Amino acid sequence: MKYAYFPGCSIHASAKEYAMAAQAINKYLDVELVEIPEWNCCGAIDAVYAYNPLLSISLSARNLALAENMKMDVVTLCSACYFTLNRASNMLRENGDMKGKVDRAINDAGLNYAGGVKVRHYMDIIANDVGFEKIRQQVKSPLRGLRVAPYYGCLIVRPTGIQRFDDPEHPTSMDKVIQAVGAEAVNYPDKTSCCGASLAITDEEVMMEMTKHPLLTAKNAKADCIVTPCPMCHFNLDAKQKDIETHFDIDIGIPVLYITQLVGLAFGLPPKELGLHRNIVKPDSIFEKLRVSGQATAKAA
Amino acid sequence: MEHSKFHQITREMSDPAFIEEIKKMPGGDKILDCIQCGVCAGSCHARFAMDYSPMQVLKMAHLGLKKEILSSSTIWICASCYTCASRCPRGLDIPAIMSGFKNMAMKSNVTAPIALKPKFHKTFTEIVGKYGRMYEPELQIKLTEKTDVGALMHNASLGLRMFRKGKISLQPSKLSPSTHFTDIVKNVLKEEAPKK
Repeated sequence: MKYAYFPGCSIHASAKEYAMAAQAINKYLDVELVEIPEWNCCGAIDAVYAYNPLLSISLSARNLALAENMKMDVVTLCSACYFTLNRASNMLRENGDMKGKVDRAINDAGLNYAGGVKVRHYMDIIANDVGFEKIRQQVKSPLRGLRVAPYYGCLIVRPTGIQRFDDPEHPTSMDKVIQAVGAEAVNYPDKTSCCGASLAITDEEVMMEMTKHPLLTAKNAKADCIVTPCPMCHFNLDAKQKDIETHFDIDIGIPVLYITQLVGLAFGLPPKELGLHRNIVKPDSIFEKLRVSGQATAKAA
Repeated sequence: MEHSKFHQITREMSDPAFIEEIKKMPGGDKILDCIQCGVCAGSCHARFAMDYSPMQVLKMAHLGLKKEILSSSTIWICASCYTCASRCPRGLDIPAIMSGFKNMAMKSNVTAPIALKPKFHKTFTEIVGKYGRMYEPELQIKLTEKTDVGALMHNASLGLRMFRKGKISLQPSKLSPSTHFTDIVKNVLKEEAPKK
């Protein structure tokens, strides 16, 4: 199964490990991602959109036009890019005035967007094209005994203008992946809460209060780690976790993995290939837990 | 008994043209459909940091309280998480309306209650317009006051944490000039300049 791949800016910088792990597991899942050549910023959820909406939609449209030439569905790993590209695609379909202005902007660069490119999240591909059964078949070291809290966040479950692939209030796609790799999906109240996104830059205290909630409720539910499908959520939950602990004088210390890294571990891939050395909160406690439960399983057998 | 400011709306406060302005912005066409049920206010993950709840802002829009909305913290704190919009029984795209208010505020001479916000939007847009992609270190540096030692130290600590893990590139990722990317940006600015 081949897709036009839209990485997005975070994937090329802070979230490289998310893509490393995705590429590593794709080989086992018969998924091929062909990068859209010369892609640009998706258009940003609000940073560009609030300042200059026409520029935001034109940025999205350029990517959609490039993808249209490839004649494949677009796949992105980032929930924000997923939302933004879909918003633009919807607006270009429904708002003739906007479409006219965008056409005038991109035609000069030799581009044209006819419409109809489908933009999908990588988790949608996993849930609907690959299927959970296929993941289960590829598991070599089941993650027995590991309690995993799925953090869906916002935009993967709440895109606008398209048919959603998961429930916005009670999503289950990552829960099913967690179960397929032999781990236990932890139920906790903040699965679909908001991490505060770019408030990390402009209102750090507000972001820290928002991110504190899923970190604490996952920890209180005795999760060994959190998994996320979004680079922005990962940044706030992982890279900012130390700042949150200091600011509120609390101990959290919970590793935050990308969902692709979790799957890769169960496929028996080396942690280095999955970029696990790049996670800021060290995942050593997970390795320890898996080693202990592995020994227990071996003994029981 | 003390009255809230909603009981003291004066003729000068209410701008009758405001609602028409709102209707023209993306998502604004449904502004009058709001039934003030409060689902958005109850759902908002960032309500604790806002002066007015999203429900109150929508009512204020009905009442034409333009200046109060454009100078509120609510429009800047909204993180576009879409919890409110996905639950709204009347199908209002509340985050898009908040983005529209931010846009109006940045074009007007209203002072934003969070000074960094307009600068964040402007700088982010300029970096993307220049390279075609976001380059976070440049954004962070441009948004940090050179005289704020505490903020500089705080950013340096995070920067180091990120750098050690290879999460910061030393160079921005750029598009090839053959793509004529900057022509697209120029065309947009000709059509729609963000600010006079």
